[in-house]
Amino acid sequence: MSANRFFATGNFFTSYREEQRIFRTHLDRGLFILFLACLFAWPLFFDASNRTMLVINNILIAVVAVYGLNLVTGFAGLISIGHAAFVGVGAYTVAGLAWAIGEGHPLIVHWWPLMILAAGGMGAVFGAFVGLPAMRLKHLYLAIATLSFQMIFTWTIKFMPTFNQGQMIPVGRVVWIGGEVGRKVHYLFWYYAILVVAVICGLMVRNLLRSRYGRCLVAVRDNDRAADAMGMHPGLTKVYAFTLAGFFAGVAGALHTYMFRGAGFESFTLHHSITYLAMAIVGGLGTLPGSLFGPAAIYTLELQMEHLSEWSGTFLPDSFNLATALRPLGFGLVIVLFLMFEPRGMANWWRICRSYVKLWPFRY
Amino acid sequence: MKRNRFGYLAVVMAVAAGLACSAPAVAGETYQLGLSLAITGPTSDAGNPYSKGVEDYMRFANDTGILGDAKIDCPIRDDMYETAVSKRNFEDFLDQGMIFFLSYATGANQALAPDFTEVQIPVIPASMDSSLMKASPYIFLPIASYSHQYVGVAEYVAANHKGDGTAKVAAFIHPSAFGRAPLADFEAAVAAGLKLDLVEVVEHGKDLDNSALLQRLASKGVQYVLCQTVQSPVATLLNDAQRLGMTAKTFGEPGKITFMGAHYTGGNDLIALAGTAAEGFHWTTSYRVTSEKGPWTDWQLDMAKKYGRDDKTANSHNYASGMMAAQVAVEAIRRTREADQKVTKETLYETLNQMNGDKVFTSLAAVGPVTYSTTDRMGVDNVQLYVVKDGVFRSVGQPFKPKYLK
Repeated sequence: MSANRFFATGNFFTSYREEQRIFRTHLDRGLFILFLACLFAWPLFFDASNRTMLVINNILIAVVAVYGLNLVTGFAGLISIGHAAFVGVGAYTVAGLAWAIGEGHPLIVHWWPLMILAAGGMGAVFGAFVGLPAMRLKHLYLAIATLSFQMIFTWTIKFMPTFNQGQMIPVGRVVWIGGEVGRKVHYLFWYYAILVVAVICGLMVRNLLRSRYGRCLVAVRDNDRAADAMGMHPGLTKVYAFTLAGFFAGVAGALHTYMFRGAGFESFTLHHSITYLAMAIVGGLGTLPGSLFGPAAIYTLELQMEHLSEWSGTFLPDSFNLATALRPLGFGLVIVLFLMFEPRGMANWWRICRSYVKLWPFRY
Repeated sequence: MKRNRFGYLAVVMAVAAGLACSAPAVAGETYQLGLSLAITGPTSDAGNPYSKGVEDYMRFANDTGILGDAKIDCPIRDDMYETAVSKRNFEDFLDQGMIFFLSYATGANQALAPDFTEVQIPVIPASMDSSLMKASPYIFLPIASYSHQYVGVAEYVAANHKGDGTAKVAAFIHPSAFGRAPLADFEAAVAAGLKLDLVEVVEHGKDLDNSALLQRLASKGVQYVLCQTVQSPVATLLNDAQRLGMTAKTFGEPGKITFMGAHYTGGNDLIALAGTAAEGFHWTTSYRVTSEKGPWTDWQLDMAKKYGRDDKTANSHNYASGMMAAQVAVEAIRRTREADQKVTKETLYETLNQMNGDKVFTSLAAVGPVTYSTTDRMGVDNVQLYVVKDGVFRSVGQPFKPKYLK
């Protein structure tokens, strides 16, 4: 390591401990803190519309959910196509309780941080349960098992009166220092709340990955027999991968319920599971930055396709309905192009950029 | 150099003067509305013509000066039947200064209902779910709720069944609250004295063959199947019934099954899907259909032609539905202006609540007047029964109000 840790440019590790640091250099840490400061400070200087805040909050919630998916699919190599159902478990933990005890009950509106944790816990329990087949199943067979959980979840929510048969269950406005969080500051408040959760979850994942448990995930993904021979328990590793994924998804679900002030089944369908998977793929499977880039990219793409579709509708012939087809077509095309030309996702672009900055200005 | 500077100044001034002259004269106010609905994704077969109905009526209102020198700006956004996107569209419209919201799906309306109440904005949904009226006092259903239409069908059966004993019916419903809520109201009506024997409730899946189901219903002596769902499962059911020779060609034909349904089960899309199997299908809605000629239907077809819509759209009851939603919104604005009030969310809400007594609004798109008050937010109370004859829907009797629902 360079003597000056602000300007170190190469990997000069002299111990394993050094290699496992969260931030390789002081510059890395400084930039990260600056980035965080910007994320927290920008709403104080720019008057963003509710729509903008809603979009940003959605991205941040998806980031938390994709952390989980990336752990199970990216790091542990277990395909999950029922992730939206885990998010739904978290959402309905809050909403179901609100339905039972009242949307304005103190447990829901005063103790909401606890509820978010409880939703994460419930997600983890379901994750562990759904992960059990992973001890015996692999690859596509496991994917089908997760798909079946998605189907069971959808059916249960739509059928059971406990969950209002899938219709919207409202949740009251939360209370924070100074009283109820009103409509005027609702999205701003949840921006900060979700941002804090996203940062904490991100640090949790980063820390996990530099621990032996995190390395177990990668080892089992790369070769579970070799991992077994090395003394790891592949089955349990897979189960806890699902447990962790369920936890993050549950937390994301609770945030979704609070931010949207309710939960309805249509936000947790197979379509959403596929979208989460697309986010993880576009962002970069098996990378932490990928969990940030993916949701941002997919949401931005969705908005841009929406604008393109709306704009093209002004001149394309009405009878063909081409404008309405543009959105799904464009969306699908981008996913396919990513899979073909950049399977490592946007995280790889980030890696290339970092490498470039690391070399500049030729300090080696 | 100096000459150049003057020359430059002259050019700038000329351009500025030109721009000033080409700018339109100060026009009247522009009222901001918004429509968020499924143009793609689930239920877009209904959302697409609905959006065109709204769009065309707004264009018509602006073109013909219904609001004098004032104009309406009603952007239409596709929400793909997703609540999250509906919410985003709603917030976007609010940021643009929206004073009247035209919404779509039941789920999205339920999700947004607390916002409607907080923002105090009047809303006309495309969904006729009766729960919406409880969800927010700012939601105004344009026509009779699904429950009214479904119970209306049931009442018709009870009143016109000619066979021995009580008519045996089966409910064929959508596996969601959209199907279950009207069924619950129907069951309540039976409990309250409606003379029908509900033999079986079927929550349909995505079956491509209903032979076993139909045989089972026949073995139980079911004479009428009352559907509360969307067209495609009904079309599958009708096709299978025709293949098995079970379809009643006239109402209550002995030994056969008469198929009936409410709002989204029928329309021209059902005939297109089921073909001849749709013959004899009975359907309730509050809208007029283009196969029954009249002043409104002629006008609807003219409008569709004027704005370049295809035949399918022109003849869709969802096109009429969109037009009527727009009509009510425009009428509320017109009346508010007429009363010399500033057109705001609050005054529009008041105007809608006053649409009763001698101030009812008669839209020829529906089979009854639109009436609203602080205690009644269901616009048209009447429903009309139609039956498919020779490939088109024909009226059966006069519009009526279901008695077992208040």
